[in-house]
Amino acid sequence: MKDWIFTTDHKRIGVLYLVGSFAAFAVAGTMALLIRIEQFSPGPNITEDPNMYNSWLYFHGAAMILAFLIPGLTGWAANYFLPLMIGAPDVAFPRINAFSVWLFWLAIVIALLSFVIPDPPDIMWTGYPPYSVQTEGNTAFYVFTVHLLGFSSILGAVNFLTTVIYMRAPGMGWNQLNLFVWGTVAAFAIQLIFIPVLAAAVTLLLFDKYLGTHFFDPAAGGDVLLYQNLFWFYSHPAVYVILLPAITILGEVIATMSKNPIFNYKACVYAGIWGVVLISGEVWVHHLYVSGMPNWIRIGMMISTLMISVPVGIIAMSLWGTLYKGSITYNTAMTYAAGCMFLFLIGGLTGIPLAMTVIDVNVSDTAFVHAHFHFVMGIFAAFCVIMGVYYWFPKMTGRIANEKWGKIGFWLNFIGVNLTFFPLFVAGLHGMPRRYYDYAQFAYDPTIEKMHHMATVGAFVVLAGMAITLLNWIGSAIAGEKASANPWNSKSLEWTHTEIIPGPGNFKEPVTVSADWTPYNYGK
Amino acid sequence: MAEHEHHWESSWAPLVLVVGIVLAIPLTFASYFQYENALVSALFAGVGVPLMLIGLAKWVDEGLDQTHLHFGYAVPGISVFIVSEVFIFLGIFSGYWMMRLEADSWPPAGTPHMSMVLPVIMTVILVSSSFTIHVAEEKLEDGDEAGFRKMLMVTIALALIFFSCTMYEYSHLVHEGFGPSTNSYSTAFYSITGFHASHVLVGASIFVAILIPALGGRINKTFVQCGSIYWHFVDIVWFFVVSQIYFW
Repeated sequence: MKDWIFTTDHKRIGVLYLVGSFAAFAVAGTMALLIRIEQFSPGPNITEDPNMYNSWLYFHGAAMILAFLIPGLTGWAANYFLPLMIGAPDVAFPRINAFSVWLFWLAIVIALLSFVIPDPPDIMWTGYPPYSVQTEGNTAFYVFTVHLLGFSSILGAVNFLTTVIYMRAPGMGWNQLNLFVWGTVAAFAIQLIFIPVLAAAVTLLLFDKYLGTHFFDPAAGGDVLLYQNLFWFYSHPAVYVILLPAITILGEVIATMSKNPIFNYKACVYAGIWGVVLISGEVWVHHLYVSGMPNWIRIGMMISTLMISVPVGIIAMSLWGTLYKGSITYNTAMTYAAGCMFLFLIGGLTGIPLAMTVIDVNVSDTAFVHAHFHFVMGIFAAFCVIMGVYYWFPKMTGRIANEKWGKIGFWLNFIGVNLTFFPLFVAGLHGMPRRYYDYAQFAYDPTIEKMHHMATVGAFVVLAGMAITLLNWIGSAIAGEKASANPWNSKSLEWTHTEIIPGPGNFKEPVTVSADWTPYNYGK
Repeated sequence: MAEHEHHWESSWAPLVLVVGIVLAIPLTFASYFQYENALVSALFAGVGVPLMLIGLAKWVDEGLDQTHLHFGYAVPGISVFIVSEVFIFLGIFSGYWMMRLEADSWPPAGTPHMSMVLPVIMTVILVSSSFTIHVAEEKLEDGDEAGFRKMLMVTIALALIFFSCTMYEYSHLVHEGFGPSTNSYSTAFYSITGFHASHVLVGASIFVAILIPALGGRINKTFVQCGSIYWHFVDIVWFFVVSQIYFW
């Protein structure tokens, strides 16, 4: 026990992140079920108190993004596997790494306290003023949750950028890195630059609410839109913090399972991944199309938003190309990978109309938007995390996760998420707004209620799928089939050069790689 | 190095520090400002601050020993960290710029006459402290540890004088009826100078953490170099604060 809570080893810290992020996922997922039950039909269903419903929404959004997806991908996956992939004994600053994981854990505790304290935060995960300044609710806890997680991520960025720049195995050039290493580096570069801006925004919110300053108070010369701009200046790039590690884990799984090198590697890295980073800071205003602004800004931001589909398309093309003529093994991880490709396609394609102002002003704040971002950054990224756990399960536990239950879990999850979110596209087009507690005023359109019925059923199918998935992991970790050192016959360092469960220091001998080595050397 | 490769490394400093921070900042702040319960607030601070200090002391202690928890990349690490510091200042400055550029007239009503003498004195103090820490580093490089400690103490003294100037200015302005909530200028003034002053305090704390073990002869050059880089950054930010807040 003491070895774990005081650990500074990157692999154990990675496991602490994994446990913490799935704990957050379980609570936030429960909130999602409560929300879906409440939305099943118009009028109050399980709570008479709209504020209660509001705090479910708050916790669901804040925890899924800030405590499940970002820590799951940049915390667990990057911590455990990035040093192994580059042949390093640990990260550059092991104790700062431990500091980061505990900041993350205690931030979840602060967020969970919102269920027991009086006047909990009731400001969604966005915290827009003026409401967040005027409310009786505890905006301070929201701000400090963001501060703790933000500080944790910034220190993670410092740690991992330094690690990748200075601690690669001798001989490992920039074009010999795993795709996932590039995805993580790019995600941390975004975190390093953009999180401080979010930290500034919420700090000013704190000053406004508790110290009486006027940053967001137009009556005293402030600017209420300033918050939205600062907030989305980080929070839009944050979706790429989630996307880039997720889609590059997808790349790892596809390359390994189809025994092909990454198609168009250099284009994927330099035009795709870094193209996303480059454009990520110039698109945030598409979250503000209806907040009031001159048309020339809307049009400029529409163009930059549409432009980002180019680098994203390049990455997707590399993934499809990697499958081409591969000898594909359809195990659970690869099945999830196929599911991810589909979810990403739906999420990506529904983003294009939303980028266009003429369409967006009509569907803004409807269930259509809600379904779009759940597809592309919610369930796509969550599927990538689950896929990564299946892929790297032998590395962490020395055993192979049960394939049969893995696939049953996959199909329940996959059918469930589609059943939940496809109807919400339809409901959105019929005018169903997001975040409403009671949609009785839209009951004249029977389609909306039908769609909500389907979505709620879908959410419970996902519950069954996730329960099976989690039980499968626990069962397989205890009693699964023992894995060989490289069960997928991968060429990547984390499989070829370490024991099945790497010990302290990771590598028995210091690793060096030759000029013609790549992590995808499948002899083609 | 080789004998450590078979051990799981551990340190209790990070966890203790995090628990201290969470008690001393979010819980203390929320109890005081949100729930207006000064007693609970004082309790949280009373437990949290010592925990923070214990965690930091242990962390520094381990760091000075040059254990296997180090790979020697602290100097590039602190430089990467400063990139994010630049952006947090830019975020807060952009709030100020937005308010100022949208205002009909500046300074807004309710702003008293601001003394330009004090910021000039403060600039001189801070620039001198950047110079003294540089001299301290050079002394250390030459092997003159006594000279190093002396210049480090001078730097800490200058940092504290600078901080006292800020506090003096605040009390003077609040006395004249110019508090944080007075108008949009006071909003920006207290937020930006206060945020910078907090960085001065952090910098001074780093120097104290270097000084205390240095009195016993334990000095880590990398640690000194990192503190010095951070301090130069705090100095450079001050030029932006002075030019934007006082002289624009």
